[in-house]
Amino acid sequence: MTIDELKNLEVTKSVDARGTACPGPLLEAKKAIGLIKPGDIMEVLSADEGTKVDVPKWCKKQGHDYLGTIDENGYFKIYLQKK
Amino acid sequence: MEAKKLCLALYTGSVDKLTAAGVILSGAAADDMEVDIYVLLQAARAFRKDIGDDSSKLAMAENPDLKDEFLQSLKNLNVKTWVEFFKEAKEITDVKIHICGLAGKVWGGSKLDDFISLADDICGINAYITSAQEADINLFI
Repeated sequence: MTIDELKNLEVTKSVDARGTACPGPLLEAKKAIGLIKPGDIMEVLSADEGTKVDVPKWCKKQGHDYLGTIDENGYFKIYLQKK
Repeated sequence: MEAKKLCLALYTGSVDKLTAAGVILSGAAADDMEVDIYVLLQAARAFRKDIGDDSSKLAMAENPDLKDEFLQSLKNLNVKTWVEFFKEAKEITDVKIHICGLAGKVWGGSKLDDFISLADDICGINAYITSAQEADINLFI
């Protein structure tokens, strides 16, 4: 997806994990995905470089669709769609 | 994805390596892995009820002179303690913690109640071998 498409997504759940270091953001995502429905979009905010690598790999294993990442100033917004 | 199994032979009783084990457990929890942890020799001391998260009673495996700096840095980064990592992993996925009977006795613990509540049972070494034979990933820390 393009950055504009990511920005226009209708996000069901936003997880702000900027206060934690790896593995915090991935586990926050893991816990939050159980709270949304299949097809819902989740946004994970992380200031940890590792998360933007971890989340796509984790999505692939779990079957969720990784949609893309927006690099903000000092943190990342990572988007995925629950399977 | 089919849940895989991780078997961890946890030998260390040092706070730095226990923290590393906790981080790895988080990764396993994110993947819904089944985890068996076998608490061996030095690790059994850390699991004693009167020790656990009391880092003043735990050594460092490496850079012992930098223990205070290490712990302060983890705190600044809002990183969980090793016990908190283990507890969180247990809440998310199927993690069983087995205390080796011999290891427990070495440190004065012969029954489950002598150890922190995360421990599930006291076991013999063949339980570890059986779990290791069945596991997809085997680690020794």
